Amino acid sequence: MFKLNLKIALRTLWKNKSYTLINAGGLAIGLASCMILLLYVAHEWGYDKQFSGYEKTYVVYNNSKNNAETLSWAWTPTLMAGEVREKIAGVKYASHSTYPNPHLISYKQNNFKAPAVFADQAFLKILDYEILSGNAEQALTGVNTVILTKTLAEKLFGQEDPINKVLKFNNEEVLKVSAVIADVPVNSSIQFEYLLPWALFEKINPWVKNSGWGNNSCLTLLQLQDEGQFSAVSAQMRDIYKRNIPDATNEVVLQPLAKWHLYDHFENGKSVGGRIDQLKIFFLLAFCILLIACVNFMNLSTARSEKRAREVGVRKAVGSSRAALMNQFLQESFLLAFIGMLTAFMLMEIALPFFNSLLNISLKINYTDWRFWVALVGLTLATGFIAGIYPAFYLSSFEPVKVLKGFGHSGTATLSIRKALVVFQFVFAACLIVCTAVIYQQLQYIKDKPIGFNKNGLIEIPMEGNLRSKEKMALLKTQLLESGAVTGVTYFSRSLNEGGNNTFSVSWPGKNPNDQVLFNFRSAGASFSKTIGAEMIAGEEFSEAHHNDSTHMILNEAAVARMGLKYPVGATFSWGGSPVTVIGVIKDFVVESPYQAPAPMILYHIEDEFEYMIARMNPEGNVSSSVNKIDEIVKAINPNYPVERKFADDNFEQKFQNEQLLGTIANLFGGFAIFISSLGLLGLALFMAEQRKKEISIRKVLGASTMNILTLLNKDFIKLVAIANVIAFPLAYIISSNWLSAYEYRIQISLLPFGIAVLLSLIIAVLTVSLQSFKVAKANPIDALKYE
Amino acid sequence: MIRIENLEKVYKTEEIETTALNGINLQVKEGEFVSIMGPSGCGKSTLLNVMGLLDKPESGSYKFMDTELLKLNDRERSNFRKANMGFVFQNFNLIDELTVFENIELPLIYNKVPAATRKAMVNEIIQRMNIVNRSGHFPQQLSGGQQQRVAVARALVTKPKLVLADEPTGNLDSSHGNEVMELLCELNEQGTTIVMVTHSSHDAGFSNRIINLKDGHVISEKINKGITEELI
Repeated sequence: MFKLNLKIALRTLWKNKSYTLINAGGLAIGLASCMILLLYVAHEWGYDKQFSGYEKTYVVYNNSKNNAETLSWAWTPTLMAGEVREKIAGVKYASHSTYPNPHLISYKQNNFKAPAVFADQAFLKILDYEILSGNAEQALTGVNTVILTKTLAEKLFGQEDPINKVLKFNNEEVLKVSAVIADVPVNSSIQFEYLLPWALFEKINPWVKNSGWGNNSCLTLLQLQDEGQFSAVSAQMRDIYKRNIPDATNEVVLQPLAKWHLYDHFENGKSVGGRIDQLKIFFLLAFCILLIACVNFMNLSTARSEKRAREVGVRKAVGSSRAALMNQFLQESFLLAFIGMLTAFMLMEIALPFFNSLLNISLKINYTDWRFWVALVGLTLATGFIAGIYPAFYLSSFEPVKVLKGFGHSGTATLSIRKALVVFQFVFAACLIVCTAVIYQQLQYIKDKPIGFNKNGLIEIPMEGNLRSKEKMALLKTQLLESGAVTGVTYFSRSLNEGGNNTFSVSWPGKNPNDQVLFNFRSAGASFSKTIGAEMIAGEEFSEAHHNDSTHMILNEAAVARMGLKYPVGATFSWGGSPVTVIGVIKDFVVESPYQAPAPMILYHIEDEFEYMIARMNPEGNVSSSVNKIDEIVKAINPNYPVERKFADDNFEQKFQNEQLLGTIANLFGGFAIFISSLGLLGLALFMAEQRKKEISIRKVLGASTMNILTLLNKDFIKLVAIANVIAFPLAYIISSNWLSAYEYRIQISLLPFGIAVLLSLIIAVLTVSLQSFKVAKANPIDALKYE
Repeated sequence: MIRIENLEKVYKTEEIETTALNGINLQVKEGEFVSIMGPSGCGKSTLLNVMGLLDKPESGSYKFMDTELLKLNDRERSNFRKANMGFVFQNFNLIDELTVFENIELPLIYNKVPAATRKAMVNEIIQRMNIVNRSGHFPQQLSGGQQQRVAVARALVTKPKLVLADEPTGNLDSSHGNEVMELLCELNEQGTTIVMVTHSSHDAGFSNRIINLKDGHVISEKINKGITEELI
């Protein structure tokens, strides 16, 4: 029986090639989209879960409270790990480490700037990276030792054995390679290329040893003896600050390592989601696309039921049971799902590299992972079942007497179900169009929003190596200006796009003593606002005259507003206990998130703290030749370091990564969803045109023009798509306003996205349907009327 | 009114070529009622379709009131057809989804007749055809004879110069068949030119002239004046 059913199934599929193509093609695109999205979800979901003890590993978060809000971050005192080890029961390991930061590492002529982490021995116990060679056990207990990842070792040493070779670090320290570990997994939160001992960090930065509980400068990780001890440990940890500083307001929360990446958004000291929200959307999207492909199958199978009715009638007449028939039709849909899956495989392998480069990630199919195969088989079976179950029910319900006599006009019930299914597909498509449009509008709005300075043609050069010396700094400035490649030069203590460097210890006359306000602080060079294209609202900016001046400050507007200064220029306030004077006010400019109002900022002028040179490129000059000139000059002055010149606007773009990703994925997979829906529509149109062939011919004989017929055939579909849009709009409005509500700066939802959705879905529907109906409308009427 | 010369039509399938019309010459005068007869496959339906501009011949000439119709393009053919011709088919070819009234109205819509005029014209023809009480019904609720009356009404509602009927009684029993034939005769008397294809010599007896076809040739023509006069 199975063999016979298979034979019939194959013959039916073969006989109706266009339907098979539409069905299998739709299912294949649906399955491939679904699987790529699931791969991405799995990639994100797998973050930090490669370590054997990840379930009992926690990241220490520091909740710092002020009367307005609670700020949470994973920056803790260097003393914390030691204290936890000593005093808190139930903790197996506690480690402190820095966050990854690029440093220069060199071997003979090879030098690279690569991200490094300084860590203690416990770090490697908690995060058990795979050790490829050497001895990692003792590596981090020394001072001048290093652990390399495989890729960096190969870059530095080629085919040579790296163990016990000697490297130079930042051109100062000599390091001995003690071990090589596997590359850090791409979906790991801590991305580094080499590990250095904590002792070296203390040696290079002597202040670390003396820093107390008020200095939150490192990452602390804990691993519990077992998960059951979490509540006990977290209760003991909570007040660890207060036990060490009597008037501290900080509290500790433990964030599971497994949730570090996905639940990165904190409100009131509690993790309230973050990337996980986006991930949930993608997860949902994956299944919706598949569902849409399944709907195509349901639609076409029931639409074509009249053709199969005879077969059902005959089979029932010769004794087939309903169950046996359902079985047969389900087998057909499983077969189709299987064909779809094979095609999906090819599509995925073709699409993945493109998808990866588009999203700047590296997903790949892991064929050796059993979970992949389970998901694959599961998806195929589910698809076959969902797509096939309704048609099987419907087709097997025919009564033989009726169908063998010929079909009357009993198809109205299934017609309305088919219509409902088409409406469902287009509701989804229209929703996606609206949401995608809103995402892009918001992205564009934020990108176009003035950021307070002119980021175009602005480059940043880190002051490292030779450039740390004042003479070389000055030399670089002179040479750059003389070369004509740049028109202005200033300095800054951080990159223009970096956060960090902030303080609560600012007070002013009339400040509420309970008020904790966080101020950003930066050291800025002479002609700072002029160079970056910002605007001074009042007073003057720093000039060469303010040499190492630690008493004169420039405030941004937000700081002036926060302090409530009516006449800011000349006003005094206290910072870290010392009185300082305001000499100027600069218009707010964005250094942190472009989605939020800039925080209060204090600028001062201490040359020792300059970390970056900021230069304005000559607008008259050719960009690539100017860049070459700049690179040559930098290299000549600082030959031991690779040139790290960066464009400020490139760095700025990275702030939009999340939204850009969402926009791209919504656009891409929204496009696929719409494509699959129109495939279904094409199938239905194909069927409708065939069914109404006779009617169309009569109409043509009576004088209908091609246009009349096209209108007639398209009208019904247009109605359905219009209904779908009407249903989709409130839905899309709720979803997109919900998404927007997370942004402080956001667009008002306008009519435009809805207009786009109506237009786009109608155009797609009309084009799809016309593709088929045009053929029928042009056909010679007598062909259909001749053989009745 | 109609002058057909050397008309040829060949049907091609994958393997065989069938000559349906092989040099037909034919004239129809205004006000005539012509029957075309002949065995199955002699080409009579093809001839009717060509005359109705539903099919294109390979060669020859077809003049309708001195206009050469075979040179027209699709749009012109369609316009000419809806302005001058009405069709009656063996299987009625009514649209199942439309009521009797709507079926009859359809050609008027395509002829862009204004709604009010349309209504009057349809009502007039419905009365003439004696199907007033059926106007809101759907085709499948009617008997075969009634359906064919509707089809005739639809063919006539535009007041065509030429009515083409393809075996109009083929699907009807004899009494319904006679009803339809009498209707056609009545129309003819009122001045409509009719060309009818039929198998039945009984039906052909209603016409003025009978043309016999065989293998795509006209083999004989017979003036049938007597019978029609008898009927009058």
